[in-house]
Amino acid sequence: MSASYLTSILIWLPIAGAVLIWLLPLSRYATGALALLISFAEVGFWIKQAAHFDFSQPGLQMSGQANWFGELGVSYHVGVYGFSLWLVGLTVVGMAACTGYGFWVGRDRPRAYFGLMLLLTGATVGVFEAQDLLLFYAFFEAMLIPLYILIGVWGGARRSEATIKFVIYTMAGSLIMLAAIIVYGLKAGTFDLVDGPTSASRWLFLGFMLAFVIKAPLFPFHGWLPDAYREAPPEIAAVLSGVIAKAGLYGMLRIAITKFPDPTSYYRTTVLALAAAALVYGSLLAFRAPDFRGVVAYSSLAQSGLITLGLFAGTDLGFDGAVLQMVAHGLISISLFLIAGAVERRTTTGEFRLLGGMARGRPALATLLMTVGVISLAVPGSASFAGEFLILAGVFQRHWWWAAIGAGAIVLAAMYMLRLISAVLHEARGSTVSDSALDLRPGELALVVPLVAGLLFLSAWPAGISDHSFFGPSPAAAVKSGFK
Amino acid sequence: MTGGSWLCLLAPLVGTILILLGGSWLPRVAAAWIATTSVFVAFGGAVWAFFSLRNQSGHHGEITTAWTWLQSDHFSVGLQLLVDPLSTMMMLIVAGVGGLIVLYSIGYMDGDDEERRYFAYIAFFVFSMLLLVEGGNLLMLLVGWGLVGLSSYLLIGFWHERPSAVRAAKKAFIMNAFGDATMALAFFILIAHTNSLSFGVLGAHFSSTQANLIALGLLGGAVAKSAQIPLQTWLPDAMEGPTPVSALIHAATMVTAGVYLIARTHVIFEQARTIELLAAGTGALTLLVAGLIALVQTDIKRVIAYSTMSQIGYMFVGVGVGGYANGMFHLMTHAFFKALLFMTAGLAIHALANEQDIRKMRGLGRVMPLTKWCFLAGALALVGIPPFAGFFSKDPIIASTLNIGWYGYVFYACCIVGAFLTGLYTFRLWFLVFPGEPSPFVREHYHDHHGREGAWTMLVPVGILAVLATVGGWIQFPPHWDPVTKWLAPVAPSLPNAVPSSTQETVTSIVAVLVGLAGIAVAWAVYSERKIAIPAAPSLRRLLEEKFYFDRLYDWIFYTPSAWLATALRREFEEPVVLQTGTDLGDTTLATGGLVRRLQTGLLRTYVFFIAAGAAAVVLAFLIAK
Amino acid sequence: MDGPSVAWYIALAAVLFGIGALGVLIRRNTLVVLLSLELMLNAGNLALIALSRHFHNGAGQIFALTVMAIAASEVCVGLGLVVALNRRNLSLDVDTLSELRG
Repeated sequence: MSASYLTSILIWLPIAGAVLIWLLPLSRYATGALALLISFAEVGFWIKQAAHFDFSQPGLQMSGQANWFGELGVSYHVGVYGFSLWLVGLTVVGMAACTGYGFWVGRDRPRAYFGLMLLLTGATVGVFEAQDLLLFYAFFEAMLIPLYILIGVWGGARRSEATIKFVIYTMAGSLIMLAAIIVYGLKAGTFDLVDGPTSASRWLFLGFMLAFVIKAPLFPFHGWLPDAYREAPPEIAAVLSGVIAKAGLYGMLRIAITKFPDPTSYYRTTVLALAAAALVYGSLLAFRAPDFRGVVAYSSLAQSGLITLGLFAGTDLGFDGAVLQMVAHGLISISLFLIAGAVERRTTTGEFRLLGGMARGRPALATLLMTVGVISLAVPGSASFAGEFLILAGVFQRHWWWAAIGAGAIVLAAMYMLRLISAVLHEARGSTVSDSALDLRPGELALVVPLVAGLLFLSAWPAGISDHSFFGPSPAAAVKSGFK
Repeated sequence: MTGGSWLCLLAPLVGTILILLGGSWLPRVAAAWIATTSVFVAFGGAVWAFFSLRNQSGHHGEITTAWTWLQSDHFSVGLQLLVDPLSTMMMLIVAGVGGLIVLYSIGYMDGDDEERRYFAYIAFFVFSMLLLVEGGNLLMLLVGWGLVGLSSYLLIGFWHERPSAVRAAKKAFIMNAFGDATMALAFFILIAHTNSLSFGVLGAHFSSTQANLIALGLLGGAVAKSAQIPLQTWLPDAMEGPTPVSALIHAATMVTAGVYLIARTHVIFEQARTIELLAAGTGALTLLVAGLIALVQTDIKRVIAYSTMSQIGYMFVGVGVGGYANGMFHLMTHAFFKALLFMTAGLAIHALANEQDIRKMRGLGRVMPLTKWCFLAGALALVGIPPFAGFFSKDPIIASTLNIGWYGYVFYACCIVGAFLTGLYTFRLWFLVFPGEPSPFVREHYHDHHGREGAWTMLVPVGILAVLATVGGWIQFPPHWDPVTKWLAPVAPSLPNAVPSSTQETVTSIVAVLVGLAGIAVAWAVYSERKIAIPAAPSLRRLLEEKFYFDRLYDWIFYTPSAWLATALRREFEEPVVLQTGTDLGDTTLATGGLVRRLQTGLLRTYVFFIAAGAAAVVLAFLIAK
Repeated sequence: MDGPSVAWYIALAAVLFGIGALGVLIRRNTLVVLLSLELMLNAGNLALIALSRHFHNGAGQIFALTVMAIAASEVCVGLGLVVALNRRNLSLDVDTLSELRG
């Protein structure tokens, strides 16, 4: 492949940028501008990568491989499949928006902040592109370190508690995954994801799954989620739920399901039950959450459940729908958290009882929140409707009751989303909403509008993703063959 | 043909986008006229499609695909439009009546400080409704179905500073989301068995359970959208929206979508005859219940809203017994006269400083004669007095129930009683509001619009609809004259036993008209002459005023338990168990760290000691292992 | 082969190692602790070389050379620390230098 350099550039450009920012004594403004420039360059490189991607070809594309620990069967091996291409796109676009938000807000200690944001970008892209288990693990961990610091330093009042919970949960998960990786790699003689054989070991499957369900997260492993989403700065919460959570779901697809077909079918009902529980539980709690971020946080839990339903349905529609929904929910979640940030900056709070009536005189805020809100509750015709429809149609083929639960949860989704919209925008003006609380500024619009435009584009053409994620007509067959 | 359908669909969408992008630098009048023009252009497209379809031999219609909207494996759904007799009929009604109502809105909404938003929403509604009726496969239909629900939500809650409006909007959306969900479940069954969602697969062979479940799912959607029992409670509350919205969405077009759905998917309903009759039964029950509740309402718009529910009940009976053309024909005439009623009510409300209580309106006819006569035309059409439109469309529905079995007679009885109720509540409204000397309230609050009863943009559409409500029914008079039935025959041929004999038609017409006149007479006696006292029966009155306690029942069955469950989960599980686990893990880690910390004495010799002890332990371990 | 048998060397190395270890454990002067450490390392070296000769295996001598190099660098760092402590007028008593207590 001629364009294989793009794969590595997407990983290492932001990391190099981070090092550069840490080394150069740039001014506050120059630091942010450089970081933003690099994020945009990432988007550009991704567009080029997507343009070079050949959807009519099977297997890994634009791959690069270099020897790392040859005797152990460990190599630096990167490349993209259709679905990872979309997730990389989600990452670079989302990170660009969030970096832009940090720049717009003017985070203090800019060199540390922007360096970490770039490092996070590179590591997350690495997770989606790595084709070697040890490399995957390295990026998976590298992704967490900037997050710890970003929450712990720039977070809200209870940030240290949130950080500790986040560290402990994710560390516990990934260390067990490391053990599983080592055992798998030594048994198989290679750590390569493309060439590695499938395994029938249930313990290894569970080891991987634990890391992924914590990261996604699924009920009841979401203990870190409410605090982290509430205490992190809004753009970091956006990254967490929009992008990082998808790494867990991607891991389920790329590793747990693909490499462990027998354990997958053995534990299918269990995982589906957990996912359905997350869906219903998250929706119910979102319905009673007292604040903006609480609703979005629990709705993310519900969405992770829904996507897991699609992945573990094991049907064609389920896989396609899950990938589509990952991207759609990523964009929705990033937009919602950024809007939450904008609201909080104007009113100093996200609590519903102190908010209200913001639609009057703030048409841009009202239009954007309304648009993202209704897309998020999967109004028919939206990208997330397409995703949820495919997922539920897919899981229906497994058993009808999963789809019935999912359909019920969609009604709940309407309830909590409409509650959020009217609590922020409608009825009497909240006590913290003053006349000086302006409509969205051009800078904020420039960040959110492209995300919403992306969502609208996906709504007009969801087949753009659902039909371009797996090679061949049948995703289930592609997964079964290990994407060969 | 397809050019017309695309023009029809896209014109209002373009209008919406223009208004949205124009934002605050677009003059208000311009926004209003963009919306109006776009809907009239859509009507032009509908006419174009209609005539090209008429010239096509066989009128079978045509499907066009713009692009593949959703695809996975062999399941593929295109962004498709369908032009066939059924969809062109709906396109004409939606764009035609819609255009008139949007024009009417220009006068009605004049001076509202968020006019632009209103017109963007209403153009978006027309787009969604056209997508619903033109959608060339079930998924596109569902997309339109959901989008009309969305625009209905936006428009009901248009005055979003009123808590009651916001609540009504949310209620409407959520009850409709319930219907969307049951429809989606029906589609999942179809996908699982046929891997397709084209209209054609409905004719595939299903086991009777499957057919019943699919039909039931579709019926759930239809019932929610058309505000039939048991999902009817949102419609009266939806009257919180501006009156043109009530006329357009909650009378003429969107709420009748359920009837369209059943006619469109009649093939599966015919496989599941039980469910189809259930639809008819639902309609029969609703038309009675709504007619009764309408008797005690005091808000002018709510009376008309209940009458809408009741009339849709008739349509459900019509399509439920298999007379699809009858149902669709009544849908059309109902769109005319019900939009007319709402718009004349809107004229009254507008002229009386937004007062909606009919007890204060007595004698309004003296100051608003034009409104009075137009309302009368609509009222007579609603009751079904010849030669007004309702007479031609309602009676065939009633007559068509006679040949289907014993339940047909039950439906028949319901419909006849319903006709009496219709006469009663409609003319209760009439006698309370229009004749007689103007009440003090009317005298005090009435203000005209430059010497007229309203702006010309309001009066012109009302005039046109008054004419349509009068003559609109003449295009069909079964069994002698039935162009509508013939037009729809290629798509939705009526079942043979839903075609009544000539005698049945005649007898039914006579009975229905007499019963309707009786209703009017009773209304006259009770509300105008006050010769008959209203029976006291306080408990019955309360039952009606509480709308048969449906709202409370749903609160009690759905809302309260789910809110309770959510709170309980948060209090009893999320906070003490899940979140506490995180805290406990943190605390335990910190505590363990505190223990290990004690070993770190800072004294060199402790460390050396541990090194020595460790080395000794290793040596010992090796020795033992050996 | 001439000279004492390997057991003597090992015994001597053990004695030296013991003295060194005791010195590290008991003495409080930093310099003496460093000296004692050197003593332990050299005891190890002695054992390595003696056994290397005994078994006719050169690996032990190589190890001894490596240990010497490490010992040299360790002394560098150690003495550097002592000088630094002295410059800042801190006590050279290892028991008072317990700031890293947990």
